[in-house]
Amino acid sequence: MTAATASLPAIFGGIRPRARWRETKLLAVVAATILVGSVSLELTRQVAVPGEATGLHPANPLHLAIYLGLLLVAHVVLILSGRRMDQILFPTVAMLGGISLLLMERLPRNLVVQSVGPWKLGLGDVQLAWLILSFVLATGLAVTVRSDRWLRLYKYTWAAAGVALLLATFVLGDEVNGQRLSLTLGPISGQPSELLKVILVVFLAGYLSENRPLLVEESTRVGPISLPPLPFLAPMVAMWAIALGIVVVQRDLGAALLFFTVFLALLYAATGRPGYVVMGVLLFLVGAFVMYQLVPTVRVRVDIWLDPFKDRTGTGYQVIQSLYAFARGGLLGTGLGAGLPTVNGVLPIPAVHTDFPLAALGEELGLVGIMAILGLFLVVIERGLRIAASAADDFRAILAAGLALVIGTQAFIIAAGNLKLIPLTGITLPFISYGGSSLLVNGIIVGLLLALSDRGVEPPPPPRRPGRLARLTGLGRPAAAHPGPAAARSGPSVPVPPRTPSGAAELAEPGGGDGG
Amino acid sequence: MDPFLLTVWIVRILFLGLLYLFLFRIARALVGDLRAAAREPGAELGRLVVVTSPAGEPAEGTSLALDAIATIGRDVNNAVVVEDQFVSAEHAILTFRGRNWYVEDLGSTNGTFINGSPVDGVAPVGFGDVVQVGQVRLRLERPRSDAGRR
Repeated sequence: MTAATASLPAIFGGIRPRARWRETKLLAVVAATILVGSVSLELTRQVAVPGEATGLHPANPLHLAIYLGLLLVAHVVLILSGRRMDQILFPTVAMLGGISLLLMERLPRNLVVQSVGPWKLGLGDVQLAWLILSFVLATGLAVTVRSDRWLRLYKYTWAAAGVALLLATFVLGDEVNGQRLSLTLGPISGQPSELLKVILVVFLAGYLSENRPLLVEESTRVGPISLPPLPFLAPMVAMWAIALGIVVVQRDLGAALLFFTVFLALLYAATGRPGYVVMGVLLFLVGAFVMYQLVPTVRVRVDIWLDPFKDRTGTGYQVIQSLYAFARGGLLGTGLGAGLPTVNGVLPIPAVHTDFPLAALGEELGLVGIMAILGLFLVVIERGLRIAASAADDFRAILAAGLALVIGTQAFIIAAGNLKLIPLTGITLPFISYGGSSLLVNGIIVGLLLALSDRGVEPPPPPRRPGRLARLTGLGRPAAAHPGPAAARSGPSVPVPPRTPSGAAELAEPGGGDGG
Repeated sequence: MDPFLLTVWIVRILFLGLLYLFLFRIARALVGDLRAAAREPGAELGRLVVVTSPAGEPAEGTSLALDAIATIGRDVNNAVVVEDQFVSAEHAILTFRGRNWYVEDLGSTNGTFINGSPVDGVAPVGFGDVVQVGQVRLRLERPRSDAGRR
């Protein structure tokens, strides 16, 4: 190891850089795009008739420089880490963040005002700060996470923490617009449901990878659908109940929909059985119908979706304005900074920076622009599934797929809501919407995905025996009728392979080792 | 047309064009990845380590990379050629299906054993199990790419 790093100064002791040319080239395109975008924005601002209220303000070139510098630093850190990680994910996310920064620079500064000491920070400033923190978190996790033990072994601890967080929000949450979403602890305030989605994926990855062979086993038949052994339906029912609880107590339809969709997708990914999905969708329909009858928020949202023009100045106002914005955008859009005329000095869509960024982008970049943005989200999903496909074991595969699906599903739920394909649910568009919790958690997700994409991480531990539940019900045991090794047919009873260090030592060449 | 407005329009379209250039670059990288994966000569799925070999061919301690299908026997056409008088010409076959390895005895004279018990039909082999053909014992190990960082 010392020989390889002899050319570097002593302080760089263990660092072995590894070039990431593909990432470098893609980041160059990202930088060029953002620069051209800001030039476009600035030119539009000069064209704008001074008296006309477009909400434009002089752009801050420093923000742009800071963002590009941030990308460069993150890139250099990833190179210095010397890990063989995915090279496409980070530029894609950087592009989304850049679009977000352009949008927030363009929207009126006073949409968000926060005072930190002597400074008054506007929308663009705050968003830039969160983007910086988010990318620092992502690269930090990507570089430091070398083992998944802390996620794998403590899945029930994570689940307990998640439930505690949820209950804390139920009880202590602050109510805004009839929704109880944010939790304030001293100076820190955030939306726990953002963090919950990561915890959910971690727990599901642990649970499903451990019980996969049992979930695939068929034992109960209801009509044409064959169900798994009944005890293993408990998590599905529990998940359904949690989602309904979120709807009833928090009025947070978006999070509930996201959690349940990701849960079903992972269940299907782990078992490959469509019966689960059919059952889940049925449960969802029943739940949705009951909620429509019982919870006024749900009824309002669905009614807006069915006919926003029924109450065009009240509840349907934002959705109608969003549709108008898409219509004004047309194919190529009005150009950055040239859209979103204000009505009486106010933006037509009050929540444009959180729930409706896609409407603003749809107006200014047109159909062509939002197709590209949706394409970026597809790339994130593709990378996640690819990382999952090449993962060393089930836990990592389900974890990677789940993390990517969280980002993808969330993007498509809110995009479809903005376009009135499904009832609008107030969740953020990942990496584009304004919002600290959302950006930070998405940074965590990208960091974990990058770390998982390194094939050199610590080898997975040997398969464990099925959970206690399985042992109690006796379903995990190999059938006694099969003698000898044939009984080892099902996953859980496969003989435990030797621990890796000893296994590696027994290989003919001692070249491998586990490094440092 | 006012040249300034034309510039504004061109910059606008350039921005959209760059967005698509980025996506195109990624698409090209993805296609390249897929092609490379298709061309790659079957990645190693496991290894056989020779534990005991009285005849010395293969030598004890040798580690052999396995493709998805590996035949074992005395005949030179086998993937794993074992020189032992108790081994048949086509003795056994190791196959990788889904996520597991399986061994099947190809009607050999002296049979195939996993950890000492005889194989009847197709039987799964876990990493760490010892497969015995004739007097030769071979241990199935994880593929080397998982053994440690390079």
